[in-house]
Amino acid sequence: MSALTAILAATLLGQSYYTPEEAQEVFSQANEAYAREDYATAREGYEKLIAHGQGGPDVLYNLGTTYLAQGELGRATLALERAWKQGGRAPDLEANLALARAQQKDKVEGSVVEEDFLTRVVKATPGELIGWVFVGSWVAGFGLLLLFRFLKPGRRSWAVVLAALALIVAVPAGALLSAHVWVARTVREAVVLPKVMDVREFPKEGAKAPFQIHEGLKVRVLEEAGRYVRIRLPNGLEGWAEREGVAEI
Amino acid sequence: MRRTGSGWTALLAGFVLLATSPAWAEIDFYQKADRTEVGTEDTLRLSVVVVDAPPSAQVQLPAPKDFEVLSSSKSNQRSIQLTGGGPAVIQDITTHTLILHPLKTGKLTIPPAVLTTAGRTYRTEAIELTVKAGRLGPPPGQATHPGLPDPFRNLPPPMDPFEEMEQDNDVPVIPRGDSDLFLRASLDRDEVFVGEQTTLSLYIYSRVDLSSVDAVTMPKLEGFWSEDVESPTQLSGEQRIVNGIPYRAYLLRRRALFPVKAGALTITPAEADITTGFLFAGHRVHRVSNGLKVKVKPLPPGAPPGIANANVGQWQLTMDVSPTSVELGQPITVRVILEGTGNVKNVTPPKLTAPAALKVYDPTTTDKLTPNKNKIQGRRVMEYLVMAQRTGTFTLPALEFPYFDPRRRAYDVSRTDPVTITVEAGAGGTASTGPSSTPLQDAASEQKNVLSAHGLRPLRYQARFVAPSTPLWEQAFFLPAVLAPLGLLFGVMLLGQVRGRLSAQTEAGRTKQQARAARKRLAAAEKLVGEGSTSAFYAEVEKALLGFLEARLHVPVVGLTREALAEKMTAAGVAPERCSKALFVLEACDMGRFGGGAELSERNRVLDEAEAVMEGWEK
Repeated sequence: MSALTAILAATLLGQSYYTPEEAQEVFSQANEAYAREDYATAREGYEKLIAHGQGGPDVLYNLGTTYLAQGELGRATLALERAWKQGGRAPDLEANLALARAQQKDKVEGSVVEEDFLTRVVKATPGELIGWVFVGSWVAGFGLLLLFRFLKPGRRSWAVVLAALALIVAVPAGALLSAHVWVARTVREAVVLPKVMDVREFPKEGAKAPFQIHEGLKVRVLEEAGRYVRIRLPNGLEGWAEREGVAEI
Repeated sequence: MRRTGSGWTALLAGFVLLATSPAWAEIDFYQKADRTEVGTEDTLRLSVVVVDAPPSAQVQLPAPKDFEVLSSSKSNQRSIQLTGGGPAVIQDITTHTLILHPLKTGKLTIPPAVLTTAGRTYRTEAIELTVKAGRLGPPPGQATHPGLPDPFRNLPPPMDPFEEMEQDNDVPVIPRGDSDLFLRASLDRDEVFVGEQTTLSLYIYSRVDLSSVDAVTMPKLEGFWSEDVESPTQLSGEQRIVNGIPYRAYLLRRRALFPVKAGALTITPAEADITTGFLFAGHRVHRVSNGLKVKVKPLPPGAPPGIANANVGQWQLTMDVSPTSVELGQPITVRVILEGTGNVKNVTPPKLTAPAALKVYDPTTTDKLTPNKNKIQGRRVMEYLVMAQRTGTFTLPALEFPYFDPRRRAYDVSRTDPVTITVEAGAGGTASTGPSSTPLQDAASEQKNVLSAHGLRPLRYQARFVAPSTPLWEQAFFLPAVLAPLGLLFGVMLLGQVRGRLSAQTEAGRTKQQARAARKRLAAAEKLVGEGSTSAFYAEVEKALLGFLEARLHVPVVGLTREALAEKMTAAGVAPERCSKALFVLEACDMGRFGGGAELSERNRVLDEAEAVMEGWEK
C-alpha cells in the first residue's frame, strides 16, 4: 500500500461518516488485507464500517469470515448470525456458518427442545418483506373500499373484487407480521464469546457451576439479574452466565 | 617276512586316509581396527588375526609411534566345520589384541604386522585412522576390513571370536562349590540411559567336557525391552583364564536390553541344565547364574518436544517419494525411513502429513535388523500409499525425528527435506471408460479432479452498506399507516349513515329516497332484459318510472290517465322532451304487459328511455 493510500485510509477512518465511495474504499482495503492474511487489519476495517453506520449483511459476512479465519469462533459466529438476521441469507453465509458450528466445541446432547411454532415460522420468513406486504395490501384494500362508495352502481364491481383480494393478502401477512413482532419482543438469542465460560446455578460469584460452555455456542437469553443473564441451551439446559460473556445477535 | 599286502593297496589306503582326514586351510593373516575415526580421549582396539599358522610361526605386532599401547592380549580358538559328506574344516585362530591410545590428532597410520614362518614372511596391510581432539565415544557399528578375507565369512555371524572377546572383559567370580562348571551372566554396561542398549551375555565356564545343554531359563527382564542378539545352536567354546585357571567359555545366549524406565533395575539369575561327559559317563547338573543390577539414568533435561523414551541412539531420518510427478489417479509411494543404532523395533518414525488434496492411506511398517558387534541397529520403514485427489503442485512437509544420542550425551534432530509432488491430468482421461461398466465407472471416478466443497467460503467483494435497520413495525409511519384506512372507512360509513338519517327527516329527503328506490327498481328491471317474462320486465320498468315520477312530482301518479300525467309534468316544469319520453315508456310498458315489445332490442330501448328520464332530473 502506498503512503498516499495509507494517508487516505487514515483520513477516511478518522471521519465519523463515510460517503458511499469512502465506505467502498475502506471495504476494499479490508478485503485486500484479508487476501494477504492480515486479518487484524481486515477486521478493523469491517468493524469501522459497522461502527460508522455502514454495515449490513455483506460487511457482517466478511467480518465473520475474517474472525473464522483467525480462529475466533465466538465473534465469527456472532457476526455471521447477525448477517443472517439482517437478511444476508446466501449459500456462502450458510456454508461459513455451518463451518463455524462444526468447529464449536460444545456438543449439546439429550433431547433437543424444539422451538415453538411461531419462532420457527418467523425464522423461515423475511420479516421486512412481510411488513411491507401487509402495509401495502392493507392500505390498498381499504382504499378500494372507499373508492367503492364513491363509484356509481353497476360500475364498481371491480373495486369490490380488488379490495377483497387485497384484504385476503393482508390478513395472513398481518398475522405473520404479528408473529415477527412477538418473537422480536420475547425471543433473545445470543452467542458465547469467551473460549470457556462457567454457567452457574445462581446469579452469584461463588455459586456452583455445574457446567461450562465454549465460544460460538448459540443460547437463548431468558432474563437478567445484575451482571448475570439466565441462558438456555438448545437442549433445555439452563443456568446463569456473565452478561459480558454473551452477545445478543 | 611275509608281506600282508601289495604296495598299490598301501598307496590306495593312504589316499583314502588323506581324503577322509580333516582339511587344513592356508595361512590367513590380517589386522583390523574397531574404528576408522577416534578421539584423543578414546582408545582403539587393534586385532591381529592369524588363521592356521604353524606352531613355529612368529608374529611381530605393529609398533605405531603415534599410539601408546595400553594393553596386549592373545587368544586362541579352534573351529571345526562339518559340511555334508565332505571333510571337516578345521581352523586354528590366534588373535592378538592391542588396546591403543592415540597421542596426537590428524591422519595416523598403524604399520603392518609381520608373520614369519618356514622361511616365508607375511605382512598385513597398514591401517589409516583419523584422530580428532576430544572424545568421540564408543566405536561405531562398522569395523574396517580393508580388503582382507574373513575366515568366518561362511559361518553364522555369532561365530566371530573377536566379537565375544570385546564384550566379555569382566572377570567372572568362581563359585566355591561349582568351580569346575558354573553359569555366568554379564552386562557390557551396567549404567545406561533410558532407551540405551546394554547387552546381556550368558556363558558356561567349564573345565570338564560338556555333552549338551538341555534347558536354559533366561532371567526375568522386567523394565527392559529385549532383542535377541545371539542364540548359538551349537556349543562353541573358547579358552579363558580366570584367576590363573584355564576354562572353556561357551556362549549360551546374548540379548540386547533397552531399559524403558529410569532407576535401579534388577536382572534375576538365569538357570541351565547341563549334561557333562560322554555316553554312560555323563551326568546332568543344574546351574544358576549370578544376578545383575543396572542403573538406568533418565534422559537429561532439555528434551525437544515430542521425544519418546525409545528415541535413543544414533538415527537418521529420510523420506523417499516415488514418483514425484504423477498423473491423476496414479499412486505415489512415500517411504519414511528411520535408520540407525538403537531400539529399532520400538521407535516410531514421524507420521507423514500431506495437504488435503493428497489422500494418505495407512502405512505398512517393515523392520530390518542388522546387529553388528552385538549392537542392535537397522532400519524401520513406514510405507505410505498416497493418492492425489486433484491436479496441481503439492508439497509434502519436512519431517523431524528428535532423539537422544548417548554417545554425545546430547539431543539431536534428524530432518528430511520437503518434497514437491506434481499431479497432472491423465492423458487418457475418462474417454476410454465404458458408460455402463461399474468397475470402469469407479475407475473413472478415481481419476476425477476432486474439488471438495469443504473449507471457508471467500469474502464478498460487493457490498450494500446499510445502517442497522429498525424493524418496520417500530418505524413512525407504521401505526398510522395501518390505522388510517380503517378509520377513514369507518368515518365515511358513519358519515353516510348520519346523512341518511338526516335526509329521511325532510320532504326532500323522502323524495330522494323514493327516487333512489325507483332507480334500484330500474336496476332490477335491467337484469330482466335478457331473461324472464316480458310482462314482468315491463311491469318492473313501469313501477320504477311511476315511483320516480311520484317522487319528483310530489303527487300520486298511479291511476292517472296519460293526459293527466302530462299535465302534471308540464305543471311541474318538466321539459317537454323528458315528458314525452316518460309517456313513451309508460305506453311501451302498457303494450309490453299485453304481449307486445318482446324483442330484446325493444326492451333495451325502453330501458334506455327510462334511464334517460331519470338522469338529469333535478335533485
